[in-house]
Amino acid sequence: MSELTQELKARIISQLNLEDLTVEDLDDNTPLFGDGLGLDSIDALELIVMLDKSYGIKLSDPKEGRKVFETVQTMADFIEANRK
Amino acid sequence: MKTDVYIAGDCVFSPLGIGSHLNFERLIDGESALVPIKNPDLSDHQLHAARIDDAQWKGKIRNSPYYTRLESLFIRTIEALLQAHSIPPDERTLVLLSTTKGNISLLHSPHTSFHGDRVYLPEMGKQIQNYFGFSHRPLVISNACISGALALAVARQLLQYNDGYDHAIVVGGDELSRFIVSGFEAFQALSNERCRPFDRDRNGLNLGEAIAAAYLTKKPADGAVRILSSASFNDANHISGPSRTGEGLYRSIREALRLAGNPPIDFISAHGTATVYNDEMEAIALDRCGLSEVPIHSLKAYYGHTLGASGLLESVLGIHSLRANRLIPSLGFEHPGTTRPLRPIATPVERPLRTFLKTASGFGGCNIALIFEKV
Amino acid sequence: MESLYIQSFCTLRNGTIRLNGEPIYGTSENTPVDDFLRSAYRQLHVDYPKFHKMDVLCKATFLATELMARDAGPYPTDTALIFANRSSSYSSDEKHATGIYATQNPGASPATFVYTLPNIAMGEISIRHQLHSENVFFIFDSYLPEFLVPYTATALYDKQVREGLCGWTEVTATLCDVLMYRVGRSGSMAHTVTNLKRLYNDHE
Repeated sequence: MSELTQELKARIISQLNLEDLTVEDLDDNTPLFGDGLGLDSIDALELIVMLDKSYGIKLSDPKEGRKVFETVQTMADFIEANRK
Repeated sequence: MKTDVYIAGDCVFSPLGIGSHLNFERLIDGESALVPIKNPDLSDHQLHAARIDDAQWKGKIRNSPYYTRLESLFIRTIEALLQAHSIPPDERTLVLLSTTKGNISLLHSPHTSFHGDRVYLPEMGKQIQNYFGFSHRPLVISNACISGALALAVARQLLQYNDGYDHAIVVGGDELSRFIVSGFEAFQALSNERCRPFDRDRNGLNLGEAIAAAYLTKKPADGAVRILSSASFNDANHISGPSRTGEGLYRSIREALRLAGNPPIDFISAHGTATVYNDEMEAIALDRCGLSEVPIHSLKAYYGHTLGASGLLESVLGIHSLRANRLIPSLGFEHPGTTRPLRPIATPVERPLRTFLKTASGFGGCNIALIFEKV
Repeated sequence: MESLYIQSFCTLRNGTIRLNGEPIYGTSENTPVDDFLRSAYRQLHVDYPKFHKMDVLCKATFLATELMARDAGPYPTDTALIFANRSSSYSSDEKHATGIYATQNPGASPATFVYTLPNIAMGEISIRHQLHSENVFFIFDSYLPEFLVPYTATALYDKQVREGLCGWTEVTATLCDVLMYRVGRSGSMAHTVTNLKRLYNDHE
């Protein structure tokens, strides 16, 4: 697990109040939405806020968001490619 | 037999002006209250929104510096209603206030001179009661965006089952604030141009402010409109997104129709916020009820989404439409944009109108349907 | 109008949860409200991960509703929800307002903003118990059974609904004053203003 994915998992768990989950429980490739972690539309918006606040990346197209937030790995890849 | 309840009078205070007839005429003329607004008190971004100008209310009530901006707007509107209909503020008159956030603009705001306690909705109710000398403390309903319509339903129920009350004054409103705007921005729910309810290219809602008031009685008078039925059911699906099948709204409409004796519906005043999901959900719910052929409008492109006022404001305009036998066009609609068909009203045609259905939905999964009938 | 009865009631105040008058969970009176509710969730073995996203108003009413379901069975899907409080959604309002007016990194959280409406508490309960029913949230200066008792009775009668879930749900970051109850057509305690005042004022 890279440092970024580790950090991301911790941020996700804390930001989204996933209290019963630990960083170890969360796999890099588990689908975050739908079957998998089962996050919802408000969680998606919170992740957008997190991308902006913690990594300086502004995401306003919801369709782009869906691809970026598929898994922790896709998020990490996107951040690596776009962070300021 | 339950007694019938009528709306015998009303008043609207919007950016288009004060007076329901005036507002109705402006809508028929195709005028919208929505404009680009650049106001750092509200947002760091430019908004497309509807705001009541200070000149329309500042200094126009007694002891005006004593009241908050929203209280002043409420008071001005109630005053106009009371004067127009000679309503006695006595113990046989119920007063209901509908608002989602009341004086929330005072909370932690760097600009306020009012005491923090004023944020509490009962405090706002007290101020309004004291201004008019109402015998009873106003009942406050805060139930998201269905509050205005729900307040009508609650007032009706109270009048029907209480011999001690003859009339009710129902007033609904909210004001624009950084509190509210920032929240909708975080939801990415706002459009930065005039909204397009039901349209293929709709991309979000506009916020607006208005105060609407209705005077309810148990005796019909000239021009009175009967509240024929009301029904409200929760989606039980998600706290901020509507049910994809429109379950709660479907049940509300279906039950309102059943209670009303399944009358023909001459037009529908929908919630129509112009978000992708709301309008789609409404189209589904209406189609499931067999109402997709009924002329429909949303008034959100004239006034924006007025939150605690919306259900009441839009009902009042619908009532004027009934009285004038004239449909209000669904401003902002050009191309069909829902998977189930709808018939948005294109021009202000005149035709005999007797009944209309008002629908509203809100955060928390709440929904309501009201049916009005001209007497 | 048929007589109605209080079938089950639950209070959350001063760090203690009581079900039908019996304490079933307690912490010290000084425990912050959120900690009190979170530890109650664990100790009472409630299993609903979305609980952790809720604000204190929703958590408190959620727990009371859950406990009364365990006590008196599942709620009929048309159970009317009639809540009231003084502070509306104050704890979330505070959180949101503090966030947007912060001098460093001001911003709005969608997850906080969604809770800045008191009726969200009824939405959460509706989702959990699959209630497709009427919701009304009143705001009063203090608990007003003189209004709420007759209002509830007529609402149930008018809509021909068998049960109601009602309560005074005053919850802020520093105060938890909740009395919730189930009302229906059978039971041993009559649904009267006197009885509800007694239940509310019983601070034991």
